[in-house]
Amino acid sequence: MPNSGSRISALRELLQARFPQSSRAAAEVCPTGIEQVDAAAGGVPQAALTEVVCRSPSCGSQLLLGQMLCQVRARGGRMALIDADDRFDPSFWPPPALASLVWVRCSAPEQAVPAADVLARDANFACVAMDLRDTALPVLRRVPPTAWYRLQRAVEQSAAALIVLTSFPLIPSARLRLDLTQSHSLTAQAEERSALCTSLPVLLQRQRLAAAG
Amino acid sequence: MFGVLFIDEFALQAVLRLEHGSDDQPIALLENDARRSPLIAACTPAAAAAGVQLGVTVPQALARCPTLAVRAPNSAAEQEAQATLLAAAFALSPAIEATAPGIITAALGGLPEDRREPALRTALESLAAAGLRVSGGLAPTPLLALYAARAVAGGLSGGGARGDHALHLGIAPGYSQARFQCIRDGRAFLSPLPLAAADPSPALAAIVADWGIHTLGEFAALPKADILHRLGAEGLALWERCAGETTRPLNLATPAQEFSAAFESEHPMETLEPLLFLLRRLVDRLALDLQNAALAARELQLLLTLEDESMHTHAIRLPQPTHQPDILFRALVTYLEHVRTVAAVVALALAIEPTRIPQRQEGLFDSALRDPHGFSESLARTAALTGPDRVGTPEVADTHRPDSFHLATPPEVLGDLGALRADHALQPGMALRRYRPPIPATVELLGRTPAFVWAGTVRGRVGALLGPWYGSGDWWQTDRRWEREDWDVELENGGLYRLFRTPGGWFLDGEYD
Repeated sequence: MPNSGSRISALRELLQARFPQSSRAAAEVCPTGIEQVDAAAGGVPQAALTEVVCRSPSCGSQLLLGQMLCQVRARGGRMALIDADDRFDPSFWPPPALASLVWVRCSAPEQAVPAADVLARDANFACVAMDLRDTALPVLRRVPPTAWYRLQRAVEQSAAALIVLTSFPLIPSARLRLDLTQSHSLTAQAEERSALCTSLPVLLQRQRLAAAG
Repeated sequence: MFGVLFIDEFALQAVLRLEHGSDDQPIALLENDARRSPLIAACTPAAAAAGVQLGVTVPQALARCPTLAVRAPNSAAEQEAQATLLAAAFALSPAIEATAPGIITAALGGLPEDRREPALRTALESLAAAGLRVSGGLAPTPLLALYAARAVAGGLSGGGARGDHALHLGIAPGYSQARFQCIRDGRAFLSPLPLAAADPSPALAAIVADWGIHTLGEFAALPKADILHRLGAEGLALWERCAGETTRPLNLATPAQEFSAAFESEHPMETLEPLLFLLRRLVDRLALDLQNAALAARELQLLLTLEDESMHTHAIRLPQPTHQPDILFRALVTYLEHVRTVAAVVALALAIEPTRIPQRQEGLFDSALRDPHGFSESLARTAALTGPDRVGTPEVADTHRPDSFHLATPPEVLGDLGALRADHALQPGMALRRYRPPIPATVELLGRTPAFVWAGTVRGRVGALLGPWYGSGDWWQTDRRWEREDWDVELENGGLYRLFRTPGGWFLDGEYD
């Protein structure tokens, strides 16, 4: 009896043969400048959710955010950062990049998802990031799963890339899930930040393809 | 050529257009006098269908239609309706006369002949969208144009003349359709109209009726000299009106110089819906005034008067001047969605600070906002969630004091980014995820250096460290003076942290990430 994996593959081939017009196509992506992400997925998908799971301390999530900020700015775009626990420190990033950032300092973590729902619909943002790394588990459990699908629909309209930083896999509608698992050592403090960003160790956990438009 | 915009039952329409959902309700308007028992002066088709007649008392009307709602005339509503009519007329022509309440005459001689009807049609459609059921007349004289408009509004049988035609516009159910009529042959149009259409005095109407004359055509067929001889100047004026010979210069009105509107509601508004409905009407009219004056709104000033006689005021600065009614209204909705007043709203006033429409060419490498008004609205809605001082673009202060920054309004245009790559490349090390406020820590020292750290959920033996770095500042201000000793520590169980010591003890400043 064939195993389930081969049956799914056979079913996919059958569906693609019967409905070629509905075959999934590669979505537009926003390059991150991080070698492992760009090589594996081309970047973070636009008009979709990307979940970055930060499984260990000092794993480089701020480097990823800062790198995205510089990439977005270099392309003349804007980025919004919804900081659920008020962790971002602007003094570590160059002022020309900060000019393109709208920083939302939530006074309570519960404000983060509603704020993302507003900003994700705004076509002025090329990227919207939401930092939920330190948000308490009871707060995250109160977010209904439908809220993530709602956010997915919101960015589909605005074509923004929505990046959510979490400490454990949380978002069912994420098209791309990246894992940051390695803690950096103190020697990283002596390295150039651009080099740290470029070589950030990232694992690709999930990549769903977008439906053909 | 002249065009006339005419509102039938002007006082009733003026009141009803500011009431949400009143289109198909039985509503009657009282006469505007101080009698003890005022009579019904006008009513909606739904009320008329229920048997309400004009000139009856309120109890009589209620006996026929128990669900009848009765309204008093509202001069503010009439002024607003007249201003809306005037604004729509100024989009037709600069030569406009406010002939009477609900009647505007426009000289359309400056428009090419083939553009007159489309222009009038556009004006009627915009007025229909503003809640006014208006009829229009297009004719060689102002009086003839008025008769044409009144004929189509009142359903008088004036059509049928060769070359004349009427256009039907979609309108709310229950009312006769608003339309306009273009008159080319005045005599043919006037001839079948009843004599009442020419507004004879009651005495004159009685005399002429005794003669067996009932239409304008029959009266105009009488010899002009005999009419003057028998009925005097009043009769001559009536004859000239019946013959369609009366013309006159227009008494020109001036366009709006101030862009403000106010309205006092008969009923206190406790929810947002009726307030927004009312505001939409005012915004549409003011936007039309701005467009006619080739200006744009820079700031909206809203004043709400509450039932407890207190006031709520707010000014909304627009990110870019505009005269688009949708954008102006959206800015008000975004603000009002998050406003809670202590009492119901009884009156509102909206004033617009005008400015010239900006003309600007962007730089080749500048990147402007795709939708400035949408951006402003998103920020306002986010600020309503988090607090107004919690949203913005960070600007780092020129000081060594840690965590010194302020949030500025995001720039509309992002300038050159030449320094971006160089700045980014030169920054060393990882960035900090800062704990606000810093977490108090217990630190075990080995000599003068940290060896073990306990700070909330962060705890562990220090595997490697860098430091100390000493910093201090603002020594001249006792309340702002700071002094600290910073350490970068790597814990053996993972994680890079910044630790600092002040005279008040040890704290965990943040996680390098």
